[in-house]
Amino acid sequence: MEEIPGNPPLRQPNPAPAFTAPGAPEPPAPPGEDPRPIRLVIVDPALERSRLTVLVRLVLAIPLLVWLGLWTFVTLFVGIVTWFVVLFKAELPASLQDYFSSYVRFTAHVNAYLSFAANRYPSFVGKPGYAIDVEIDPPPRHRRWTAALRLVLALPALLLSTTLAGSVPLPSSGASATTWGLSLQGGGALFVVGVLGWFVCLVRGRMAAGMRDLAAYAIGYGVQVTGYVFFLTDRYPSADPRCLLPTLRIPHHPVRLENGDDPRRSRLLVLLRLPLVFPHIVWLSLWSAIVYAIAPIVWLIVLILGRLPRPLHRFLAAWARAIGQLTAFATLVGGPFPGFVGASGYPVDLPIDPPAPQHRAVTAFRLLLAIPSWLLASVYSSALAAIAVLLWLAGLATGKAPAGLQALGAAGVRYLVQALAYTFLLTDRYPYSSPGLDVREQARDEPSELIQPSSFPA
Amino acid sequence: MTRTHRWLAVGVLLAPLWLLAAWLLGDTAVPDGLELPPIDTDAVFGAGLVDDAADYEVFLYVAWFLEQAVRLGVLLLYARKGVRFARESAAGPIGTGVLLGMLGLGLAWLAGLPFTVARLWWDRRHEVSDVGYVEAIVGDWLALGATFVSISFAVLVVMFLARLIGDFWWIPGAAVFTGIVAFFVVVSPYLTTGADRLDDPALNASAERYEESQGVEGDIPVFVEEVSGETSEANAYATGLGPTRRIYLWDTLLDGRFDDDAEEMVLAHEIAHHSGGHLVETIWWFGLFALPSSYLLMLVTRRRGGMGAPEAVPLALFVTVTFYLALTPVQNLVSRRMEAEADWKALESTRDPDAMRRLMRGFAETSLGNPSPPGWAKVLFDTHPPLADRISMAEAWRVRSEPAGGAANAP
Repeated sequence: MEEIPGNPPLRQPNPAPAFTAPGAPEPPAPPGEDPRPIRLVIVDPALERSRLTVLVRLVLAIPLLVWLGLWTFVTLFVGIVTWFVVLFKAELPASLQDYFSSYVRFTAHVNAYLSFAANRYPSFVGKPGYAIDVEIDPPPRHRRWTAALRLVLALPALLLSTTLAGSVPLPSSGASATTWGLSLQGGGALFVVGVLGWFVCLVRGRMAAGMRDLAAYAIGYGVQVTGYVFFLTDRYPSADPRCLLPTLRIPHHPVRLENGDDPRRSRLLVLLRLPLVFPHIVWLSLWSAIVYAIAPIVWLIVLILGRLPRPLHRFLAAWARAIGQLTAFATLVGGPFPGFVGASGYPVDLPIDPPAPQHRAVTAFRLLLAIPSWLLASVYSSALAAIAVLLWLAGLATGKAPAGLQALGAAGVRYLVQALAYTFLLTDRYPYSSPGLDVREQARDEPSELIQPSSFPA
Repeated sequence: MTRTHRWLAVGVLLAPLWLLAAWLLGDTAVPDGLELPPIDTDAVFGAGLVDDAADYEVFLYVAWFLEQAVRLGVLLLYARKGVRFARESAAGPIGTGVLLGMLGLGLAWLAGLPFTVARLWWDRRHEVSDVGYVEAIVGDWLALGATFVSISFAVLVVMFLARLIGDFWWIPGAAVFTGIVAFFVVVSPYLTTGADRLDDPALNASAERYEESQGVEGDIPVFVEEVSGETSEANAYATGLGPTRRIYLWDTLLDGRFDDDAEEMVLAHEIAHHSGGHLVETIWWFGLFALPSSYLLMLVTRRRGGMGAPEAVPLALFVTVTFYLALTPVQNLVSRRMEAEADWKALESTRDPDAMRRLMRGFAETSLGNPSPPGWAKVLFDTHPPLADRISMAEAWRVRSEPAGGAANAP
């Protein structure tokens, strides 16, 4: 996994891009997006972690989790009362605003601490100023009908949130308050990042930037959903990484994403999407069988030559691209029907650089090294499954793909293909787990002091 | 003389050869000039059952006509306007053709969906089916995926050949499709799931006896397929070729509603399909129909750039569906002829016309099949001889087999 030491992927309290590469263009904000009323901010972008606290982090977090569970339990009841209050007054009283703001901040702090996105021990009251914090604008006047239907309207966001952060407390039968805290505040991406982050921080004494960004993204989406459910905002949560992490910049990678998707969707293609991918699945199964069969030979070749021969690279790159294009189409992240041979030109395209020398040591242990990437790929796959359902419904209803979901889906597709490319020896660069998208805006020849990719975990 | 005229001339020249091949395939073991004695359906099946079956089928007839009309209308519209969906493709010409083919079938499926639901409602109302609506629709939707795989492969073959050899594609094209059908006939037993070997020593012994009497070489394994969770209809079928030959009996046939002799009659009938070479014949017939349909496709799509161009696919889909719909009576005729032959051979093997009578009565009760449908319905829908005709054949066999006043129903 690569790192961008000192490069803050998240929105800063001070809008000045203190960690942006000199001369690098500022990534544009997503079109039509105003600043979100609930924003995740990085106060302390440092990636260094104390190994001692990392080692016992889960134990240290027990008081936090118990407290979070109790707080969540109470918040459920307060939330019900609040619903009636907002229905009656069409606004959130200041006292309740403070209460929910503190709760939302505290969940973000605990999640950041547990997922190694932050290092310091958080306060128990959601005090502002933590390494990864949340800024919340004063709540607006609410439209009563959206307030009345708030929980129903929030269902799509809750679905996605469960795959990312699971940050909205919903009770399940027989669950204790502590269990809520554990399972709902830290599922999906956060859980996997937490587990992998533990190993990475122990070994290296610092968190991988890409994983930190992914955790921050998941936390950021989670607090938006929680804030929406508890009336801190009436703005629907956005899944767009460019919106949640506007200053995020990701390093150049041999497998890139070019997301030129037109949001319009043909309803007929949306309706028939699942059966439409069957022929591709059959075809790619055959193709994949060949790839799997030759993989040991390819591995030996790369180990001996130190690089992948061009014809093999072409064959494997086309295969990886075809899988990426099919994934994009199947999950409705891409609109048009893709070709069968993995040719370039699909709107959600994944150009792959020509073959380059590969470290033999990395090649020798490639399968072992790839395991973390596949754990993260499973997180993105879960998110893509949720995105597919939501985009299917949205596509049928509106004939369009919401930009936020599409962008997150595109990032997921990119990660999956990067993981494939790494596993099947197209490159020895580790997949970059951040959901950032701004590849094209980023200069390829950025100063090396700002971007120093390492060969292992990002 | 234009190229189209030349191709028309080729068609005219080939037509007699086609007819000769069809005539050769039409050979049957049923004696020439066999006269089927009339039977009193009310007496055999019961007037109530005959009326119920007739009422039941009227709805299905109407639904079928409406469905075909709607489906053809949709496909006609698609043939005219469907090209615009090409902009939804980022694939090359063949991939775009594949997409257009699938979308056409998808639209046809959508058009037929209300009728599928209506038929299911009717079947459930008459306790012929237990399948739930959601299950049926979702299952149908997923089955569409398998259909899409088939159409994709067909479009791929046709477009590839058309781009390679131009207007001559229809000759190797028909051969390729026939080869594919043959392949699927061979492998189809391996694709059947939810079936176990028949665990009935008496029935297995009968199967061996009938195989011997019908001159079948080797053993044909008999399987029982579990369908009782989905339907109460009883059925059986023969499949596979050579070493993959199989006979499948639905478990609804063996649930006690049919007596042992009737079950043996079914077994003998299915063995007759193998001994009569009907599965090979089916492949030949497919080839015989594939040739003119491919030829027709080549002709009508020439104005749209031929089958090498994706723009021709929507039109090709409409032409193919219409062609095979128009051929339905002929296909049914071929099928009925083979089924009649299998019945005859089964009677020769079992020598039990009474069992045939009881079996047909059982089919009428379990499947609400009309014992004696109107002539037009028989032509359009029946792949098997009507139940009354099958009993008539049993009676005709009895008459022919009686030496001089003796009974001929000993097994």
